[in-house]
Amino acid sequence: PGSGGSPGRALRIGSIAVSLAVRGPRFRKLKIGAGHRLDVKASGGLVLGIGHGNKLLTDLYNCHLPKVYTVGGLFGKATDDFSDTGNLVEKTTFDHITREKLERILAVIQGTNQKALLMYSNIDMKTQEAYELAVKGLIRPMAKSPPIITAVRCLQFALPEFQLEIHCLHETQQYLRRMVHEIGLELKSSAVCTRVRRTRDGVFSVHDALPRTRWDLRSVQEAIGSCQLKVETELEKTLG
Amino acid sequence: RKDRVFVWGFSYSGALGVPSFVRPDAGWKKPRRIQPTPYRLETEEKISSAACGYGFTLLASKTRDITKVWGMGLNKDSQLGFQRSRRDQTKGYEYVLEPSPIPLPLEKPQQTRVLQVSCGRAHSLVLTDSEGVFTMGNNSYGQCGRKVVEDEIYSESHLIHQLKEFDSRVVQVVCGQDHSLFRTKKGTVYACGWGADGQTGLGHYNITSVPTKLHGDIAGVNIIQVSSYGDCCLAVSDEGEVFGWGNSEYLQLASVTETTQVNVPRHLPFKIGKVKEAACGGTGNIVLTEEGNVFVWGYGILGKGPNLIETAVPEMIPPSLFGWSDFSPDVRVAHVRCGLSQFAALTNRGELFVWGKNLRGCLGTGRKEDQYFPWRVTVPGEVVDVACGVDHMVSMVRSFT
Repeated sequence: PGSGGSPGRALRIGSIAVSLAVRGPRFRKLKIGAGHRLDVKASGGLVLGIGHGNKLLTDLYNCHLPKVYTVGGLFGKATDDFSDTGNLVEKTTFDHITREKLERILAVIQGTNQKALLMYSNIDMKTQEAYELAVKGLIRPMAKSPPIITAVRCLQFALPEFQLEIHCLHETQQYLRRMVHEIGLELKSSAVCTRVRRTRDGVFSVHDALPRTRWDLRSVQEAIGSCQLKVETELEKTLG
Repeated sequence: RKDRVFVWGFSYSGALGVPSFVRPDAGWKKPRRIQPTPYRLETEEKISSAACGYGFTLLASKTRDITKVWGMGLNKDSQLGFQRSRRDQTKGYEYVLEPSPIPLPLEKPQQTRVLQVSCGRAHSLVLTDSEGVFTMGNNSYGQCGRKVVEDEIYSESHLIHQLKEFDSRVVQVVCGQDHSLFRTKKGTVYACGWGADGQTGLGHYNITSVPTKLHGDIAGVNIIQVSSYGDCCLAVSDEGEVFGWGNSEYLQLASVTETTQVNVPRHLPFKIGKVKEAACGGTGNIVLTEEGNVFVWGYGILGKGPNLIETAVPEMIPPSLFGWSDFSPDVRVAHVRCGLSQFAALTNRGELFVWGKNLRGCLGTGRKEDQYFPWRVTVPGEVVDVACGVDHMVSMVRSFT
């Protein structure tokens, strides 16, 4: 404790935590949990839950909302782990590839996944309810299932690079890298994945995310506040 | 990019053209009564037109070679022409298990091209570019456009009739169950065959054995497309108007009349936009508008869930069921087709959607159940065209790369 000094001089008050007059724990522990994982090579939005938010995370997981990724690919080579940092396995030509050909392959991928979507969503296809859900595009698995791609489209195409936007469920980033590799094979060439960036995780978009420079208490509080309504609405809509 | 043919549905009639499904060629193989998903059929030539009849199939190519049409399946009425048996040269096959050439009595076999084929219950029509229309098969109702011969035996018959007497070149041939429709370049429609439901549209309910011009509401109208498969017929004019005649027991024409048989073409005053294409099934009808919207009406599984069983007025099927979404707003239905109790829609992305009764696996979805709303059929390639029959379907597919 210090006394007031002359004007112009900064007042230094020591931390009250060290004072013997203050009782209670020095730090308050907060549980922070992570939502859907992002592996080391991927980037994008990662959702964290603080305290009560952890329980909400579990509830959101049970909503099985699709995630959106921007996936970058490069034609011309194949590696053992499907990314551009892996060991080179093969090099191929790619001048025969056109955007049209790529889009056709993407259409097939969407088609086969649509079937899986319906199969795992456990809906009785003979009901009017199934028809209503199909019209709204709301049919999706509400339980554990293999990775399913709900939508995919080509954002950019400039040989040898290309960029895809992928909407998926129950995926891993490595599954997406493998998909890039398989697209390369289908086009009678080869491809590696250059980047995987998650742009949306359920109700959270990358625009709501806090960049490194804003990892402070106030920003975190604001972020929680602004997402609260979205989370509540979605939970109520899906889980009732 | 290669052009391929895929088949699926009931195989025991031979209509799929895969002999090993009916007569397995190895001891351990079992016969396959139903092919539930698209199966690639090897063909010698590029097939440009296919048609599914009641238990048989015709494939045609635009080639200048001598063999232009192949047939497979039921041949008890010589709907596939005379197929000489290898065991006994005097007899013909009743069932043809693989695509076999149909010899057409062409004057200029190395110049004339076959443009289109169509199949009905027991007869077939082959349209050429310069030698008119060839008909074969059952003629008990005059559906082959020639005089009915009492007690004629249709099996093992060599007779293929040629029709050339139209006001202008025939550009489309359509087979109903037991009648035939011909559309000419001038936009007129001719019909012959069974007329008890008024499907010939000639103002009476008798059979007609000579192709005769239709009048009624289509007199003077430039018709650009006709369709039929059962006993109901639809025609589309160049202005996008729809006309119908024939059977209306299933509300197909109930929007203009309560009578269950209409024997004169009637204009169907639907306010759904300019119609581009129409297709008729056994009990249901489907049209596609210029905007790319699909409308269905009639009776049966129409495609809007199990609750919609019948309607006299066209109902639109939401485009989201064909793959349209905010994500892919350019998806549009390009063609619609009808089997006896199924529907098919082709999108501009080359995807095939089917719905209706899944009779002996004819939908190709891989499942046994009927499909109450459009469902995508997984085909390895871009589907260019599809022909629907009673219990089987044939599609022409272009490979991706």
